[in-house]
Amino acid sequence: MFTYASHVWRIRHFWLSLVRMDLRTRYRRSVLGLGWSLLQPLAMTAVLCLVFSQILQNAQVSNYVPHLLTGLVCWNFMIGCALQGCQSFFLGEPYIRQCPLPLAVYPLRTTIGAFFHFTMAIMVLTVIVGIMRGAAAPAAYFSLFPSMLVLFVFGWSLAVLAGTSNVFFQDTQHLAEVGFQILFYLTPIIYRMSDVASHPSAWLLNFNPLVPFMQLIRAPLLDGAPPPVATFGWAIGMTAVAASLAATVLHKMQAKLIFHL
Amino acid sequence: MVLIDLDRVSLEFRVRQFKRLTLKEFLVRGMFKRSSNPIMHVHALKNVSVRVAEGERLGILGHNGAGKSTLLKLLAGIYPPSSGSRRVVGRISSLFDIALGFELDSNGWENIHNRGYLQGETPKSIRGKVDRIAEFSELGQFLDMPVRYYSAGMMVRLAFSIATAIEPEILIVDEVLSVGDLAFQQKAGQRIRAMMSQARMIVMVSHDLQSLTNLTTRCLWMDHGRVKLEGTPGTVVKAYQQHSLQPLAAAA
Repeated sequence: MFTYASHVWRIRHFWLSLVRMDLRTRYRRSVLGLGWSLLQPLAMTAVLCLVFSQILQNAQVSNYVPHLLTGLVCWNFMIGCALQGCQSFFLGEPYIRQCPLPLAVYPLRTTIGAFFHFTMAIMVLTVIVGIMRGAAAPAAYFSLFPSMLVLFVFGWSLAVLAGTSNVFFQDTQHLAEVGFQILFYLTPIIYRMSDVASHPSAWLLNFNPLVPFMQLIRAPLLDGAPPPVATFGWAIGMTAVAASLAATVLHKMQAKLIFHL
Repeated sequence: MVLIDLDRVSLEFRVRQFKRLTLKEFLVRGMFKRSSNPIMHVHALKNVSVRVAEGERLGILGHNGAGKSTLLKLLAGIYPPSSGSRRVVGRISSLFDIALGFELDSNGWENIHNRGYLQGETPKSIRGKVDRIAEFSELGQFLDMPVRYYSAGMMVRLAFSIATAIEPEILIVDEVLSVGDLAFQQKAGQRIRAMMSQARMIVMVSHDLQSLTNLTTRCLWMDHGRVKLEGTPGTVVKAYQQHSLQPLAAAA
């Protein structure tokens, strides 16, 4: 385990340069360059504010839109890791065929890319929500660092699991897209937990593994306080489960994956 | 010390007739009947034992599909053996599939760095090599272009220039002596020979019997996944030539 991690670290220049190239390629032909990654969440905020100010009253807009935005940003990161992760081993196939490297670096490449955009979006959100609803306590902002670290490890594990599954079952990505479509409505993104509390099957939401992760981001930004310890506990527990699954799968597949590419 | 030791190694590929399985197929068919996508077994290597010691230059020859490249990939640690054991002491540098693994949308410079890192360079160590790599590739201003627009020959040039800018301990070479146009081939041949004189051990696959005879100290003739003959380059090359030309002679 430790030697594996140190091997991943030793070849960091390789996967970091892959990430750099991915980002550069994405923004190469634009004047703004990396600025686009800031513009995307800004545009999303502007559109949502505009749309909902037509439907809701002003006070509600500053309540609802930040809720929706934080939800969407977290959601996009997690499914981004899973869906792009599906392709990660195929993307790395030429390298896998040439050089025996730890397989974890290929999902890591896609995860860092998604995490970059996630971080940009969170930064934009922090500023916007701060303007809309006043600044939160410093402790709240500080709690974002460990929270995002947890989200990163969770996203990486998701990418590993999705990537491996996609190598064996070529319809994984397709099925995952359908699954996520359903999960989207089972996750409090466009509605709040309190909105559906009276519904008879609302208890189902308590079993949604993504809820604590959203709470990690929402608590500091929306409520202005660090997330409760219990939320942290849940998120870390969930991450530990996903990470140990991913580690087991990688351990089993390290030698064998090449035969299935 | 460098050492390669393969002890009775076999390698079996399990290939599905229709490349991959879908989860739906797995769930539905797997439960009720045997899959209609049967697994075929391919014995790529059978009971191969090879021992290469420091200072040796081992050449491998054989007809297409004899298991030469598979053997190299197993040596490099890309395929794990199905049975038998593989022991390697020393850092392996391998030159195969070198035209693969470019990030097509990135330019030549970025790819030089990336490839360098893949081969274990650090930002510091690659800095001194980038210019030499660029110069050797003779690609000039094309290096500023995305690799996507390169011709096949240009890609091989770039790949070869990067791959050979290392100081290898164990060098594994698969049929890269014939890259590029005539002028570049000459240069590449020199570069390979220079590298070989530095490397502490070489294993190479080639169809160029002349260079095998000149460059190696020992040869291995692979046939249908087995070692058919092993010995000095002269004897093995001769036997292989006779065997390959026999059908032609009989027809004439």
